Amino acid sequence: MTNSRFRLFATALAAVAAVALPFFVADQYQLHLATLIAVYWILVAGLNLVVGFSGQLSIGHVGLLAIGSYAFTILASQHGVDTFSATVVAGAIGATCGFLLGLPSLRLPGFYFAMATLAFALIVGELSLAQQELTGGGAGLAVPGFPAPFDTPAGFYWLVLAIAALVTGATANITRSMWGRALVAVRDSEVAARANGVPVFRMKLLVFMFSGFTAGVSGALFASLQTYITPETFTFELGLFFFVAIIIGGRGSILGPFLGTVLLTALPEVVAPLARLGNFFYGALLLIVVLAVPEGIGPLINTLRERFRPTKVEKQLVSPDLRRLETAINAGQRV
Amino acid sequence: MTVLTAQAVSKHFGGVTALDDVSLDLRPGEVHGLIGPNGSGKTTLLNLLSGYYPVDDGSIKLGEIDLTKARVQQRAVLGIARTFQKPRLLATLSVLDNAMLGCYPSTQAGFFETAFALPRARRDYISARNRSLDILHGVGLGHIINRPASLLDHAEQRFLEIARGLAMKPTFILLDEPAGGLTEAEIEALGRIVLTLRDNGVGVLIVEHHTDFVFRISDRVTTLNLGRMLKHGAPAEVRRDPEVIRVYLGA
Repeated sequence: MTNSRFRLFATALAAVAAVALPFFVADQYQLHLATLIAVYWILVAGLNLVVGFSGQLSIGHVGLLAIGSYAFTILASQHGVDTFSATVVAGAIGATCGFLLGLPSLRLPGFYFAMATLAFALIVGELSLAQQELTGGGAGLAVPGFPAPFDTPAGFYWLVLAIAALVTGATANITRSMWGRALVAVRDSEVAARANGVPVFRMKLLVFMFSGFTAGVSGALFASLQTYITPETFTFELGLFFFVAIIIGGRGSILGPFLGTVLLTALPEVVAPLARLGNFFYGALLLIVVLAVPEGIGPLINTLRERFRPTKVEKQLVSPDLRRLETAINAGQRV
Repeated sequence: MTVLTAQAVSKHFGGVTALDDVSLDLRPGEVHGLIGPNGSGKTTLLNLLSGYYPVDDGSIKLGEIDLTKARVQQRAVLGIARTFQKPRLLATLSVLDNAMLGCYPSTQAGFFETAFALPRARRDYISARNRSLDILHGVGLGHIINRPASLLDHAEQRFLEIARGLAMKPTFILLDEPAGGLTEAEIEALGRIVLTLRDNGVGVLIVEHHTDFVFRISDRVTTLNLGRMLKHGAPAEVRRDPEVIRVYLGA
């Protein structure tokens, strides 16, 4: 019980700190960075249900991010759709693309599914370059900003923060529910999942669509934050970045991938020498995590606690309480 | 009364005939033992009943419902639970979470209801948790509900799989070598659980090598050999059968 109260307290503290951030930052660039982290997290939070919970290794979510960005920009700047509706539509288009991509590919075993998402990201990149009249081709597009009060850096930060909080809450509710257990079953043992009535493919497709929605919304906010997008903005490394943030954070956790996102975005910016290393830094970090803490940094606390103060496993004979068993069976009897 | 029947089923794997024209009916409130030498087709028959393999010939029925083409998860939802020879648990989750997975078929709230924690999702969670707690205490795992499944010993894993199956509110539960690797005391506990299930209307199929255990708790016993039915009947009858003694039990 103290554990959950501590959790609540920590969450509340973090929330207050996040909301108050614009008053503490030293310069606008730090605020931009914080906004970028929140934008990335909106995508990663959805992707986390796919990669971290149901175990489907998608490395191509940058494609969905790009689709969301272009959809938002085209709708808002060329068709006069207001930015909020355009954001929601970008999410819906992301979900639709997730459905269309997932339908043929989610039946493939892990490695081949990863390849399919890779191919998708590459195709989206090429298309955004080739469809000049729609995307502006290599020259790119200017992106409209959000209206007041979200037109200041702080205002936009709070908007993104609110959406990120909403998405985080939704994924937390999912993972704690019966759905969360079913997703982990899909990841760890499809055989057990099926034996317990879990429709494995439908489950995968649904969370993949959800991640498509968050990727689309994230894309809209990302575009608006960048103010200008070109196909170059959506490098394949960015797709890898999302994936790596989850692997570094650890599977089956929400806090872990969040820390992973913060770490990967902020560290190269804060520690200047790391920025020069570029992808080398990501690669080295991934290597260290995979070799040293394969469970990721999220469950690391538990792993350490286990090492220093192992839970005593006492052997105790299983002694059934048959009366209670009887009650439970009769309570569940089908008529 | 709903009966689960395999009617003249056959199964081939390449050129090997695993099962040839075997029939079996499983009734609620009855323990049915399925014995036979290695490779006689016991587990294959269990896999046909639970839907892991499609039958090549014959049919599977639950009462009036034809299950021959039904998928595993459909059969699970209709009330057919099973355990595995090698327990398939979710290693990172706790004992309680593993048992709660069995409540999945009773889940009513959809994805978006759950994402926004609407009342029905809360109710799903609470009823699954309560039911799982009752069952875990019932099978004797109440003292370790928070332990990760990866830290369980062999017997605890087997009992947890049974608990997960029971959480599904099954009409039938199919146990694949439940006594394998258990001590005498644990087998004794297993026997009491199985009999409690039977007395409360659940139909139990036990695929098992531990023949003493099977004869002791079964109401009926079916013996397979080389994919064919050897003998079927009351335990005492099967035990005395000269053919069964010759090919399986020994003198």
